[in-house]
Amino acid sequence: MGLPLLVSVVDDDESVRESLPDLLREFGFSVQAFASAEEFLASGHVDATRCLILDVAMPGMSGPDLQHELKLLGKPIPIVFITAHCEAAMRPRLLERGAVECLFKPFSEAALLEALDAAIGAGRARGGARPPEAQQ
Amino acid sequence: MQNESSRVVDALPAPVWTALADGRIDFVNLAWREFAGHGPDDDPGRAWQSAVHPDDLPGLLGHWNAIVASAEPGEMRARLRRFDGRFRRFVLRARPLADASGRVTGWCGVNTDVEDCGPVEHDRHARGIDFQAIIDSIPAMVALMTPDGALEAINRHALDYLGATFEALKHWTTADTVHPDDLPAVAAAWRQAVATGEPYDIEHRIRRADGAYHWFHVRGLPLINSNGDVSSWCVVEADIEDRKRDAVLLASEKQLLAQALEDVRRSEDQLRTIIDAIPGFVWTADPDGSVDFLNHRWCEYTGLPMFDSLGKCWTSTIHPDDSAALQAHWHALLESGRPGEFEARLRRRDGAFRWFLIRTVPLHDAAGKLVKWYGQNTDIEDRKQAEMLLAGEKRLLGMMAGGSSLPGVLAALCELAGAAFGGCRCSIALVDPRHGQLSGGAAPGLPRDLAAHDVGPEAAAAALNSQVASADLLREQRWPAWRAEAVAHGVRSVLSTPIASTSATVVGVLSVLGDRPADSPPDRNLVAQFTHLAGIAIERARSEAALRQSEAFLAKGQRMSATGTFSWRMATGEITWSEEIYRIYELDPDQPATFELIDTRLHPDDGPSHNEMRRLQRESGGSFEHEHRLLMPDGRVKYLHLDAHATRDEHGQLEYIGAVQDVTDRRLAEEALGRVRSELTHLARVATLGALTASIAHEVNQPLAGIITNANTCLRMLAADPPNVDGARETARRTIRDGNRASDVIKRLRVLFAKKEATTEAMNLNEAAREVIAMLMDELQKQGIVLWTEFVPDLPAVAGDRVQLQQVILNLLLNAADAVRDVAGRPRRIVVTTAHEDDGRVRLAVEDTGTGFAPEDADRLFTAFYTTKGEGMGIGLSISRSIIESHDGRLWARPNNGPGSTFAFSIPCPPGRASSAGGDNDFRHAAGNQRDHAVETF
Repeated sequence: MGLPLLVSVVDDDESVRESLPDLLREFGFSVQAFASAEEFLASGHVDATRCLILDVAMPGMSGPDLQHELKLLGKPIPIVFITAHCEAAMRPRLLERGAVECLFKPFSEAALLEALDAAIGAGRARGGARPPEAQQ
Repeated sequence: MQNESSRVVDALPAPVWTALADGRIDFVNLAWREFAGHGPDDDPGRAWQSAVHPDDLPGLLGHWNAIVASAEPGEMRARLRRFDGRFRRFVLRARPLADASGRVTGWCGVNTDVEDCGPVEHDRHARGIDFQAIIDSIPAMVALMTPDGALEAINRHALDYLGATFEALKHWTTADTVHPDDLPAVAAAWRQAVATGEPYDIEHRIRRADGAYHWFHVRGLPLINSNGDVSSWCVVEADIEDRKRDAVLLASEKQLLAQALEDVRRSEDQLRTIIDAIPGFVWTADPDGSVDFLNHRWCEYTGLPMFDSLGKCWTSTIHPDDSAALQAHWHALLESGRPGEFEARLRRRDGAFRWFLIRTVPLHDAAGKLVKWYGQNTDIEDRKQAEMLLAGEKRLLGMMAGGSSLPGVLAALCELAGAAFGGCRCSIALVDPRHGQLSGGAAPGLPRDLAAHDVGPEAAAAALNSQVASADLLREQRWPAWRAEAVAHGVRSVLSTPIASTSATVVGVLSVLGDRPADSPPDRNLVAQFTHLAGIAIERARSEAALRQSEAFLAKGQRMSATGTFSWRMATGEITWSEEIYRIYELDPDQPATFELIDTRLHPDDGPSHNEMRRLQRESGGSFEHEHRLLMPDGRVKYLHLDAHATRDEHGQLEYIGAVQDVTDRRLAEEALGRVRSELTHLARVATLGALTASIAHEVNQPLAGIITNANTCLRMLAADPPNVDGARETARRTIRDGNRASDVIKRLRVLFAKKEATTEAMNLNEAAREVIAMLMDELQKQGIVLWTEFVPDLPAVAGDRVQLQQVILNLLLNAADAVRDVAGRPRRIVVTTAHEDDGRVRLAVEDTGTGFAPEDADRLFTAFYTTKGEGMGIGLSISRSIIESHDGRLWARPNNGPGSTFAFSIPCPPGRASSAGGDNDFRHAAGNQRDHAVETF
């Protein structure tokens, strides 16, 4: 077991910031939620963040901007993008830039788990009760 | 006498002799000559005397003289010597020869030998020579004179008559026996006679016994003795006083007669002078029609002497075409004996014919019998010419009024003019009003384009606007080309006169072309007359053509614009329609236009308003417009727009003159346009859907994601040991909230894209704008576009259709977003502001820092299908503008001072003239009204 890993959620949408952290906690992660990329950068949780769940479109610094910024800062935090905009070209582009995954809202729990797995490592992501009947 | 009679006379067995009227013997026949023994060459005048017994000779001579003087047959006795010398007694019987008038022209005599006849004669002669007794026996005054004129003897008769003695008479030459006035002549005559031996023959006055002078015819014959000399003269004097007196009387009567005749002749001359002075021909004819007098003028005119024309010869002067009719008329007159008149042409001595009015009047004697025809001919040539000209002119004017074509009228005019100018051809050329070129109008008998020569008399006349003439083309130097053509067609002289219109412009040229060199120009008045006529014809034809053309234009114009004209006379209620109105109403044009007729077509719904209009116009009498519909029998509806002006007609009565236009197409088009616009509006709105797809997806996906996440969380929480019920509860709550959120978005979208009728409500632009912005926010964020709002807090409400206005705001925002999307190097920013303007309007502006546009494109932006976007339809701005305009607002764009542009609209507030919803049958003419709202907006 060990300490729960920190997953940071950055999304300007309030309902995301409300719902996603709880789910992640159920997965066994510890979660920090931020309304903007700037808030995250200024938060001091950057180093501890083992995975970043990041919205793409945000006012101010967008998701990809943050990704770029972190690269510049030399913080190779695995990023899982989440977005409500379904753009076919977006996902490959983001992956190319080093993102672990890009999920389109609404996404299933299984997809989320899989992405987290890929980001943090197999098994580790499952540090918590498995969902009983996860409806994919 | 050298002929048959002389042979007969010579053959007679008796001596025959003849004498001249004065008694000189001029012939004796053969028997005489043989008796007397004379040769054929002896002068009978002297020879016979030698055959007479000398004793008898004086007596015989005296007797003979007396007989000659008496001019009556008589006989004489004397002894004549026979060839053998023996004397025989003869009776000489003499008879005068007279001519037709009874004048004695000669004598003839026969001598009868009476020697054997009886003693009585003997006795007398036996007595011896009683010369005196012999001459006394002669019943005349006999005297014997010597050749010197001395009186030898004189008989008693003479002495008694004269009452003088022989002695007294001896001095007859110096006495006043002979009238002193006659004495010189007597002496001269005596000398003459004596000198020549010719008989002495003179008439002179001798004084009688009573002292009165009487006229005497004195004859003297020479007595020739046996030697052949004149021994004496035997003079016989016969009293011819009575005769003389008679002669004097006769002479005076003759003089009187001569005088009378002279008077008659003078009065005849006067009469003739009068007759010859009568301006006309005067003639007379017998009852049988044979002309017996023709006055001087007639003869002068015809060149025929009167005597050649008497009887029936005058008929040769009548024109052959008139001759038969004239003769028939004349014969009818002769039969009827009534006065009459006739017109015919007489030939002048130069061969020309002139018209004359021939009047005849009969003269009846006291018994009523026709004794003479009197006739008078008056020259009516000029009158006839004028009549023919007038008839011709009437005909021409009739042709013009009857609408004959111009070429026909001009040709007829040329023919008339040609006839009037006698032997000339006439041509009329027309001046084209556009370029002043001449073209042939009419030219009978000539090449049509002769007048069209650039250089020629016609061209010159037209150019100079004055007459141009040439009396002899063969001597003419001008116009060589024209001349050649004219002369080739037999033209030798020309007079070209310009034809003027009433506005004094030259519309044509009239030319008189003679086939002979002209010794005098054609009659000026005639030329002026024809030119005037031609001017009338040309002007009339031109104005008719112009009128027809303008009528055709008008009819065409009415047809093309589906506009008919009408007039409505108030006083009589009379309506007049143009053809187009009948066509619009689809009624038979032969029907008279009445209100009843209109009502048959009037749309029932518009009936009341139409009647009201009529009532109003009858009363008010002002100009007006009105719109109504027609309902055709087959159910089609037509929309009519009526426009009428009030005028006063010529009697001062009120009359409306107006136009009716079929605006059905326009109305239907407007309606269709309205529908299409609504469709387009909807389409535009739908087209923006694509642009909003991302926003929509975003809008909906957010809550959906939340729902799923929360639901998953809920399951996990409930599956925990112990179940986290509170947490699950929270997730359930959040799920509901997100579900609502999603549903709201859908609702909003549905509202935005619903096909709904426009509703006008009081609304706040700020709120409307916020809603739209909310919808777009995610999209803008995704594109990195920053949007600010600067809304005036107390923005007054405006009346408008929320959905439509939001569409406009959406359109502007999307455009702004497109403009800034690809901007680099400067912030991508949109600012939305609202403001309350001074004039009570509310303004909303969208400013961007985008690519901007050129100022000159400002208006083009709003045109339909103008787009700079690759996938854009370009109708957004045009629809937006029409939406704003239907709110009585204004939508405009301008470049910023810096980069980018600002689009803004303003709407009046408080509420403008937005019309109520629903159909409105009261059509009005206002531009830009809210009628579009009355149709469905989608």
